Amino acid sequence: MRIVLHLAEQTVREAMRRRFLNVILLFSIVMIGASSMFSQWAPGAELKMMLDTGLGFIRFFGMLMAVFIGAMLIPTEVETKTAYVLLSKPVTRWHFLLGKFLGAFATVGINVLIMGGVFVLVMFLKRGTFEAVPNLYSNLAYAVVLLACEMLVLLSITVMVSTIASWIFTSVFAFFVYFAGHVSASLKHLATPEYYESPLARGMIKVLYVVLPHFEDFDVREPIIVGDPLEWSIVSGTIGLGLLYAGIMITLGWLFFSEREV
Amino acid sequence: MRTHRIIGVLIVITGLVGASSLHERIRFQRMVRQYDPPAPIEKIMQFSPTAVTGVIAGAILGGFRGPAANLLWLKMESYWHSDRWHDCLPVMRTVTWLDPHFVEAWRILGWHVMYNMTVETTDIDRQDMYLEAGVAYLKEGIAWNPHIYDLYWELGWSYFDKMDDFENAAKWLRAATEFEHPEYIERLIAHAYEKLPDIDKALDWYDYCLKRYPRDGTAIGATLTIRERYLASWRLLEQGDFHGAEAAVKHHLAMEPDDHIGRRLLATIYERMGDMQNALDQWDLLRATYALDSGAGRKVRQLKAELGIEETVRERQERLKKEQLQRLYERHLELHGAERGLGAPHGGH
Repeated sequence: MRIVLHLAEQTVREAMRRRFLNVILLFSIVMIGASSMFSQWAPGAELKMMLDTGLGFIRFFGMLMAVFIGAMLIPTEVETKTAYVLLSKPVTRWHFLLGKFLGAFATVGINVLIMGGVFVLVMFLKRGTFEAVPNLYSNLAYAVVLLACEMLVLLSITVMVSTIASWIFTSVFAFFVYFAGHVSASLKHLATPEYYESPLARGMIKVLYVVLPHFEDFDVREPIIVGDPLEWSIVSGTIGLGLLYAGIMITLGWLFFSEREV
Repeated sequence: MRTHRIIGVLIVITGLVGASSLHERIRFQRMVRQYDPPAPIEKIMQFSPTAVTGVIAGAILGGFRGPAANLLWLKMESYWHSDRWHDCLPVMRTVTWLDPHFVEAWRILGWHVMYNMTVETTDIDRQDMYLEAGVAYLKEGIAWNPHIYDLYWELGWSYFDKMDDFENAAKWLRAATEFEHPEYIERLIAHAYEKLPDIDKALDWYDYCLKRYPRDGTAIGATLTIRERYLASWRLLEQGDFHGAEAAVKHHLAMEPDDHIGRRLLATIYERMGDMQNALDQWDLLRATYALDSGAGRKVRQLKAELGIEETVRERQERLKKEQLQRLYERHLELHGAERGLGAPHGGH
């Protein structure tokens, strides 16, 4: 475990030194800070506009970070041969992969929390421009945590694919999975005789429905707008789902990586 | 190593099945609490391709339904300020599908259909269709946002002001009083009952207003007026003395023939007596003399249908003239729409 934590710490240090990450973070903070401007375009729906743009920016920039960090995590180490050095020591492939993944998630998680903190601050400073709703800040805190969990799932898929593919292919694939994961709920509707008569086609769609992540589960905008308190059972269930799915992907990644010649 | 691989594969498959099961449970809980939007993506795409540009489709696919709804709303505003009333409709509807908790969208959609689209046509059947559609939209909005005052108010006021359906107006305005509301709502409910007419309930609600604010001048004046003008007739009607009730209200109407509430009461008396011809005459008089009473026109049509009265020659001439004007209007829109490059109005409503 000490090895894993050490690898994670090194990964965080390396990631934080990457210039593109700092640029993305800076740009995201500027955009989140400007989210209050959009509310002026829709009188009567100021809170909704601010929430949509603010949380939308956090999701978008978090997604960019998760994909690019995850895509370059393993391939960079393999291409620069630094993986040889690490794996020649008493560091198993499982330790290596897990340590790298945890470090990447710590990086993405910290950035998401920073963006979330900025957004909560903006909401607090602009609290006079929209109609107050109950439980706003507690719900926002849950929403940011669930966004971090969503990035955990995306990152795990990206890292899994990166164990067998180049970083370009991994990036493209991760973006595709991200989009597909947001419409995966529609797959259930498509797997009906109304759309496909062939049982084979419906079976394949159902398998796809099971395998694809369901990113819409991490979206909790609706109760924030209405002011209902987010129930802990849903939040904890969703976090558990994210951790389970990430664990599955990392296990799959380990299976692939264990067969790969480094 | 092979053993580890087999165990790993088994863990992955078991994990995926477990994750799927957990996802279904979470999905059910989210659905019960209305955390998720209603329409699957393919339904939105089928409904209005012109409302969903590539950028917005990408936003939807990227899980940005909220921002996509906001972008569409801004697009709707640009249509609005360009007087493209018909083009606004499918865009508004798409917004409500993308984000059913966007209360403002439901409110403006219902108002636009009931208030603006109805005056775009002189065809009475089309007007009725718009009114029914507006009511359906507001009710759907309420179903998605049952804890928001605004839509209850909007529906109640639409029934009161636009449709002269005072029974439904009172019902929905009463529902609105369950939430934090302005102090005039109770007076409006009382007024709706007064116009229905249901004098007992009107007096009960005005009484409530007075108990809340003893110096409520409107409630004081309305109570005095009702007692002076309609109460006697109403009491006789409730006792089944139709002729007595008729005589009492006619006595008042002899002094104030323009009192439309009194005229409504007289029409109600005739209806309860079963004298539909006289009731029809009163509603027809209301329709002819009180332009704001749109409910009177509907009552006339309803009673004519019940009595099997065909339209008169004069009514037929008026109807044909209106249809001709409607055709000229639509032709004008086509010609001038083509010149500006706007195209014909959408029929997506």
